[in-house]
Amino acid sequence: MSGDRFDPITLEVIRNRLDVIAEEMQTTLLKSSCSPIVKEGLDASASLFTLDGTTLAQACAIPIHLATLIPSVAEIRRVFPPETMQDGDIYLLNDPYCGGTHLPDIAVVIPVFARGRLLALAATMTHHQDVGGLAAGSVPTNATEIFQEGLRIPAIRWARGGAFDPMITAILRQNVRIPDIFMGDLHAQVAACRIACIRLQQTAEKYGHNSLMSAFGLLIERAETMTRAALREIPPGTYRHVDWLDNDGIELDRRLRVEVAVTVAGGDIHFDLTGTSPQARGPVNCVPSGSLAAACFAVRAVTDPSIPNNGGCFRPISLTLPEGSLVNPRSPAPVNARSATIKRITGCMLSALATVLPERVPAPSAGELLVMAFGGRRRDGAPFVTGELLGGGSGAGRGFDGVDAIETDATNCMNLPAEAMELEAPIRIRRWSLCADSGGAGEFRGGLGQLKEYEILDDLDGALSFSHRGERHVVAASGMAGGGDGAKARSVIHRRDGSTVEIPSKMVTELSPGDRVIIETAGGAGWGPPARRSGEALAADIANGKVSTAEARRLDDGA
Amino acid sequence: MSGLSVGIDIGGTFTDVICVGGADTHIMKVPSTRADPSQAVQAALDRLAAEHGVPAASIERFCHGTTVATNAVIERKGARVGLIATEGFRDIIEIGRQMRRQMYDLRLKPETPGWLAPGARRVEVRERISAKGDIVQPLDEDSMRAAVERLLAEGVDAIAVSLLFAFLNPVHERRIRDHIAAVAPHVAVSLSSEVDPAFREYERTVVTALDAYVKPRVDRYLGQMADHLAASDVPASLQIMQSRGGLAAAEVARERPVRLFLSGPAAGVLGGSAVGALAGFENLITIDVGGTSSDIALVERGRTLLRADMNVDGYPVRVPTVDVTSLGAGGGSIAWADSGGGLRVGPHSAGAEPGPACYAAGGAEPTVTDASLTLGYLDPDYFAGGSLKLDRGLAETAIRERIAAPLAFGLVEAALGIHRVVNAQMADGIRLVSVKRGFDAREFVLVPLGGGGGIHATALAEELEIDRVLVPRFPGVLSAAGLLAAPIEHERSCAYHAPVADASVAAIREACDALDRGAAALMEREHVQGLTVHRRYAADMAYVGQSHLIEVGLDFEADDPLDALYRDFEAAHERINGHATGAPAKIVNLRAIHRADLPGLDFGGRAGAEPGRSLKAHREVHFAGLPAAVRTEIHDRGRIAAGETIAGPAIIEQDDTTTLLPPGWTARVVSGAALLLERARAS
Repeated sequence: MSGDRFDPITLEVIRNRLDVIAEEMQTTLLKSSCSPIVKEGLDASASLFTLDGTTLAQACAIPIHLATLIPSVAEIRRVFPPETMQDGDIYLLNDPYCGGTHLPDIAVVIPVFARGRLLALAATMTHHQDVGGLAAGSVPTNATEIFQEGLRIPAIRWARGGAFDPMITAILRQNVRIPDIFMGDLHAQVAACRIACIRLQQTAEKYGHNSLMSAFGLLIERAETMTRAALREIPPGTYRHVDWLDNDGIELDRRLRVEVAVTVAGGDIHFDLTGTSPQARGPVNCVPSGSLAAACFAVRAVTDPSIPNNGGCFRPISLTLPEGSLVNPRSPAPVNARSATIKRITGCMLSALATVLPERVPAPSAGELLVMAFGGRRRDGAPFVTGELLGGGSGAGRGFDGVDAIETDATNCMNLPAEAMELEAPIRIRRWSLCADSGGAGEFRGGLGQLKEYEILDDLDGALSFSHRGERHVVAASGMAGGGDGAKARSVIHRRDGSTVEIPSKMVTELSPGDRVIIETAGGAGWGPPARRSGEALAADIANGKVSTAEARRLDDGA
Repeated sequence: MSGLSVGIDIGGTFTDVICVGGADTHIMKVPSTRADPSQAVQAALDRLAAEHGVPAASIERFCHGTTVATNAVIERKGARVGLIATEGFRDIIEIGRQMRRQMYDLRLKPETPGWLAPGARRVEVRERISAKGDIVQPLDEDSMRAAVERLLAEGVDAIAVSLLFAFLNPVHERRIRDHIAAVAPHVAVSLSSEVDPAFREYERTVVTALDAYVKPRVDRYLGQMADHLAASDVPASLQIMQSRGGLAAAEVARERPVRLFLSGPAAGVLGGSAVGALAGFENLITIDVGGTSSDIALVERGRTLLRADMNVDGYPVRVPTVDVTSLGAGGGSIAWADSGGGLRVGPHSAGAEPGPACYAAGGAEPTVTDASLTLGYLDPDYFAGGSLKLDRGLAETAIRERIAAPLAFGLVEAALGIHRVVNAQMADGIRLVSVKRGFDAREFVLVPLGGGGGIHATALAEELEIDRVLVPRFPGVLSAAGLLAAPIEHERSCAYHAPVADASVAAIREACDALDRGAAALMEREHVQGLTVHRRYAADMAYVGQSHLIEVGLDFEADDPLDALYRDFEAAHERINGHATGAPAKIVNLRAIHRADLPGLDFGGRAGAEPGRSLKAHREVHFAGLPAAVRTEIHDRGRIAAGETIAGPAIIEQDDTTTLLPPGWTARVVSGAALLLERARAS
């Protein structure tokens, strides 16, 4: 291959190659990671970047990772200009105020050299199980400063020319609760980046260094052209939506507003979050990378998912994020619980677009991913930290019911099998079922939430630290086109002494043997008037226990 | 060998038959008869007798690959299943793992097979086993009786029982089975502790419910087939291919139907493996290029790679299976020009109906097959042995209008481009499949299975830097041939949670002894007198804290079996994941595999062809990398003599496949009657 003229066929072949490289990185990352949140939650991603920091290819098992490595790579490039990078360097970053997302997400970036010349950057991000801080699992819902959330890593160079800096390793190990697992996952990230180095070197051998670099540029332009073409098909205008977060985990009786105005015009799309609440004391604040991920997801979902997924797709997207607000906080505001905010932002963006795309966008989903962490020591002194991620029901749409207990919008995490949790921690799962009547009523019913009951067992040295980060405990998913709201979430601790404590959406507390926690996640919203639901569908819901007879009677009376 | 062996693979469209052991190998394809598949079998037996003089009474082995289990699921035509769960857990099958596969779809569909047993047919029993296998709550007999009664009232004809931690202590599940047998002996029962004794309740419940769902239908089908053979005077007993690539007697297979989902593809890979072995190659990548997808599998050191689970219709099935990966690219994949000026192929496919534009059945979209026809790779009058006439004009029109015009290409350039893109996709797919398993594709021989692979094989090989391609003598009936190449095999596994550091060889040996007894009991029913039964053991392992399992062979003969096990685990982890950490590892499951090898596949002494007689025509063909079409020799595969070498550019045709031999490649017949294509190394 000579010169930098590429025919569309060669370009397509190279594009496919880049996607497969990113996928191979991702596979390495997921398979060789240790922490349950990566294994079961797939909370990790891999990307290739051009030297100017544009995404070239990315593999992410969950949309919340879309585009989130962009600001991390930008910061690493700023501190360590590419021309100073050497083969064998490894860069790290996790500080949200320097381009990260939240502290558990650590970015690892490795420069890719081919025949001694810098070709690209390989980057991975993994949600680590623990990075120190106030609570085991590093997602303390009661944090009021980022300093409580764990170890902050600005853009640093961990290895130079293949040699690790042992002092950095020592600092990292000293600041996390389970250093072996932490280092194992970090090395899995490095291994994934190294795979990219080998594969890109082979690709450069085949097409030539300069030609490959110019192909990168063309591929990015192509994706931009396609995204703009798809955006032009949406009727131009400004569309708005408002939804709420329960609270910030500190001021428990204050709801937080998320307001989005989407303006579509001339192949561009702009998301203005003016009107969103000021930054919160609690950790639901979300640095700008989160809103960018939400916007990328929303655009992809309402346009054409077959558009190649690279930085060109992001170019038509712009955002207004008021400084000092929930979506653009100032340091040192805490940010660990920002995934809930990203989910709500995504929901608002989609619901705003539902105004002009009623066929494509359904009623709101529970939009909730309950995050729980359990940590402590067994009687023999062995430490355990385990987590759980639980979704609610999805929203119904014109012509279809919502789905029960399923992940929606920006996240796509697996739950933890009851047997896995019982093997890992002194906890017994006593019940795990769908919550009858939790789906929003409607001609098409919202999906049901799920109920899970945890009992703390005796094999515990001291207390078990427990954190619960819920949503939709206060404000339900609101029905569309006459449909009913989904049921709200509810979580209650039943202490061994018979007392009960209702969890106000977010809580960090201690549990003792004999205590039980019963959680119910929220339901998805319904679509269309409930009276229009077919008798057959309602009868099946009753027979299968999705709707109780009492609820059916209530719906009947309403009709 | 005096008797004859017959392999019959029943697919959706055709039933493939091979008969070996006589002077000649006979192959045939007869139309499948979906309503009663035994009709196709009868038709095949009739033709064997009438056309080849093979009497039913001379058939000593009769091996069968079937899609009956898969079809029951895809067509939703299985049993009416009831599900019994631990109190509090009846919804597990519907909740699943809560993940969605279509990440950007806003219109979500259920990801779990709740339909196998909707809420009304899911009941609970009061009982509980702990994570250590202790009984926390004894089985409450009243709740059991009430649960079974309720399911019977719902009219179920199969019951799946999946209780928490039953894989550690099956006593409650077994009690429930005994009770059902007593009160409703007609109802089929599947226990999770027998179908899939491993942790993770959702996955175990799904595979148990699927077992129950297909069991009555598979049972009826195999029973009828066995009766039919007996009535036809076939003395051979019926043997069935299992997903992991071993045969089982029909009466054993009927009890473990969930092990049959990949019966056909497993046979194909084994067939490829057997062809490779006959030709002296033991590292193979097989690719079966179909209409809508291509199936890829690896054979390493003569052994077909296995995996611990698979999908059927999108649902997880956790049984050991030949490791076949499906890519969404095949001959029917549609080529399109995207709005950014790119040439894309797939993932949409024209399928069998309307099919490619050249089928003249109403398809207007250009497909990979249309490109093959346009480039001269296919003879429009000799596609699938001439059974389907192709229309080259329609193919060219579709490519010209949908690809060449919008992208400002010439017709040939567009057709070559379609091939380049789809070949790159397949090659990248193969590369990903191999690297995910820790192998370098360059060290493998590529074996196209099925009819569609011959046109792409050399291009894929070049893309993957593979130098050799082995085209089986009968690629179109390779699944049937694979049936005759398979060993009889039975495996038993159990959960065994122990860190390697704490494990004792004696305890593991004891657990394996129990597995041996189970596997030996299955083997005993195979009538394998005179054959040596080989026993192998394996452990599913992970580093402590990890959950992705790696199967590692367990050698009790080693000086220090546990030390060897740990070292082999680390080596496997290094190969698959690129690193080994030296961290503590754990055993999660143990497995015993008993295997009896049958006589190897032999295509029989073929009548020797005379050299120099295979050239049958010439055609103008466009090869990638050449500036213009070249007048190309077309050879008849059946007339290529042993020892003869054909040099590319050439095309080699036979009833069931067309093989493209570009410049720089040669082809010759090798041992086992396969065609070996070799690439001259650039000097």
